[in-house]
Amino acid sequence: MSPTALGVLLVVVSTMVEGFGQTFLKRSALDTARRHRWIMIGVAILIVEVVLYSGALRFLAVSTAFPITSLSFVMVTLLSRWLLGEQVTPLRWAGVGLILVGTSLIVAQA
Amino acid sequence: MTGARVPLRLVIGLAVAIALDTGLQLVWKTGIAELPDTSSVWETLVAIALNPIFILVVVFMLAQLVNWLKVLDHADLSFAKPFTSLSYVTVCILSVLLLGEHMAPLQIVGIVVVVAGVWCVSQTGRATLGAGAEGE
Repeated sequence: MSPTALGVLLVVVSTMVEGFGQTFLKRSALDTARRHRWIMIGVAILIVEVVLYSGALRFLAVSTAFPITSLSFVMVTLLSRWLLGEQVTPLRWAGVGLILVGTSLIVAQA
Repeated sequence: MTGARVPLRLVIGLAVAIALDTGLQLVWKTGIAELPDTSSVWETLVAIALNPIFILVVVFMLAQLVNWLKVLDHADLSFAKPFTSLSYVTVCILSVLLLGEHMAPLQIVGIVVVVAGVWCVSQTGRATLGAGAEGE
């Protein structure tokens, strides 16, 4: 595997991990009785994401690595609906889609 | 459509999140670039611990966490998260200005599309759960 491919793979995995970490942080706002517990779990998961992303930046330029993290918007939106029960309207999905397209254009030209 | 009902404190929180995200990315990149070129995990960790830039990274992360938790108190995760994509725009521009990286014309189109996407999300209800929930 080339260094660039390894860097891209690390960024993609880190975005998936971030999706789960973010849902735990949001859970802390919904379940205030156990707020600190959810924050601790969320932060622990996000630390894993930081380690993965730090590794990726050793192989990729920040202008390339950062836009790839836009995949986390899809993961966060899906998990917000599935795990938190948020109402994700078609317009919100359209916005996430445009963000993906926009960041893809940025990545393609980086 | 409830985009006009976004309270000022949420707008400020989202703006701070974008600013901190941008600063974090640029500082992080600077710190990573200064690490020695070694495959040893231990040597890398020691280099990180001795590099003052990573203290700044930790400060940025803590500030970002505190601010983000405040934002999530007032908005859906699936509403707030897309706004942070605006930091792609700021990082792209600042990478050109500060790090000397090149920006292609299609990247400018990408930036416009990202902004359009964020606008779409801003037109949806900010909170559908908990005490701050609002009707769609």
